[in-house]
Amino acid sequence: MSNALLLMFAVLVSLLLIRVPIAFGMLAASIAYLIFKGQDLGLAAEQVLNGLYNGYVLLAVPLFIFAANVMNAGTISERLFDFAKAAVGRMRGGLAQVDILVSVIFSGMSGSAIADAAGPGLVTIKEMLKKPEYTPGFAGAVVVASATIGPIIPPSIPMVIYALVSGTSVGALFLGGVIPGLIMAVMLMLGVHWVAVRRNMPRDTSVKWAHVPRIVARGLLPLSLPVVLLTGIYTGAFTPTEAAAVAALHALVLAGVVYRALDWKGLFAVTLETVRASTIVTIIIASAYLMNYVFTAEGVPASLAAWVNSLELTQIQFLLLVNVMFLVLGCFLDVSVMLLVFVPMLIPAAKLLGIDLVHFGVVVVVNMMIGLVTPPFGMLLFVTNALTGIPLKAMIREGWLFVGLLISALILFTFVPQTVLWLPQSMGYKTL
Amino acid sequence: MRLNKFANASGVALFGALFVVFITQITARFVFNHPMAWTDELAVILYIWIVLWGAAFVVKSKEHVVFDLLYNGVSSTVQLGMRLVGSVALAGLMGKALAGNWDYILFMRRENTPVLGISFFWVFLPFVFLLVSLVVRSVWSVWRILRQTQDERI
Repeated sequence: MSNALLLMFAVLVSLLLIRVPIAFGMLAASIAYLIFKGQDLGLAAEQVLNGLYNGYVLLAVPLFIFAANVMNAGTISERLFDFAKAAVGRMRGGLAQVDILVSVIFSGMSGSAIADAAGPGLVTIKEMLKKPEYTPGFAGAVVVASATIGPIIPPSIPMVIYALVSGTSVGALFLGGVIPGLIMAVMLMLGVHWVAVRRNMPRDTSVKWAHVPRIVARGLLPLSLPVVLLTGIYTGAFTPTEAAAVAALHALVLAGVVYRALDWKGLFAVTLETVRASTIVTIIIASAYLMNYVFTAEGVPASLAAWVNSLELTQIQFLLLVNVMFLVLGCFLDVSVMLLVFVPMLIPAAKLLGIDLVHFGVVVVVNMMIGLVTPPFGMLLFVTNALTGIPLKAMIREGWLFVGLLISALILFTFVPQTVLWLPQSMGYKTL
Repeated sequence: MRLNKFANASGVALFGALFVVFITQITARFVFNHPMAWTDELAVILYIWIVLWGAAFVVKSKEHVVFDLLYNGVSSTVQLGMRLVGSVALAGLMGKALAGNWDYILFMRRENTPVLGISFFWVFLPFVFLLVSLVVRSVWSVWRILRQTQDERI
């Protein structure tokens, strides 16, 4: 490691520790590196701006955020909730099962775990808290755990970012997430069922059969979106970016015209929120372009690959090592930092070991979603706490079972690449 | 307050434009079977503006993703010190980088985007807004912290 690189790390770590925003800390540390090396400081603008200019696929990010915000503002979550209640509400712990099913459906329209917790998650938490059998901690834990499915079942914002840093196909990654997402949902449902039986939760008042057709009809329009999106992406008719725009338009028409749940003022607020959220995500990506330029100039990924190579790890050992590393880092760092700073360093090593990069990508994204629910730094915990006031401690206490289930799902995807690769391969994806 | 409203409204307008461009692109491709090249380019330009404009003027410092485990665990005096050091570092480094980055963007004015022929100066300009905004905000925050500590002494 050169002195300049050491200096950059020192500046970065110190700035982040004293709570400078991560994006600006990365930018400032890279600028410190350029100053130390006596390089042209205009490289900052060059790297950041050309990165953004050539990052067309990133445009999917604001559009997916917009779609999710519109759906949440436009009562679409409530309609999905009624639909799911008709489907699985009869089970013990029915509302918790409803939450997981809604998450799966919502996952097919939105690519963000936070949007899942803030939209349908909030709707089900409110319903659960009306009943004594659901403790606030349990309600929060279920919602937080099921929200991790959001970016695994396509569309997915983290997968778009991973595609960008790894050069893999977004379509193949999206397909690769379908089965893992469904497996995670089934495992969580089994977990909820186990708790519900053990605590002897009463069955919920079930929806009357006579009402089912109306509820299904009400849910049909929002439910048509995942079908359109997924078919569009899988057949190659839409690029993921276009799919994001279609999703947003679909949500806008439903919320504004069909349901009349969104007026101009609401639309302004939703758009402003989208600008805010997209900026917060993308500005970290923009700063990472500069930092990754420094890493590449210093040959960090290449020497890391050489080092991993010298360890003579098998594929499985490497993946397990990566998993442990990201599970630990995920307790402290944000997804975007791990994806943009650490993943690009590991990709040459993964390639060298002959690991399929789509498999690697899905494993890494699942891992990072677990990071969103593990304390002390768990974004989903924070969001749910901020929206519902359920104390973090209560959620964490009830959440260990679900974290354990998600980790066992992660281990399954790590050891059995076919869980990820079967679907993309059967649609024509070939490992490079 | 009025400036704030203007910054927000501009952000919303930029995003509205981006969305319209996308819908135009999709309509042209799927309905009229006539893909257009300019929509891709304009969308990217708008996105650069949204993100850098947003970071410069719409999103407040405290809304960004931060690592605050350490910060939350120390006394308020230490927190003040942390904010001071952070602001001085940001103001210094971004201020130092300002001239070089302005030169790069000025240099790019001679090159135009391939389809629309817009000078890259206009495409890249908001990066300067971001740097200037970071310097101004950091200096402002240093000034406020110093005043606050002075007030406490009196």
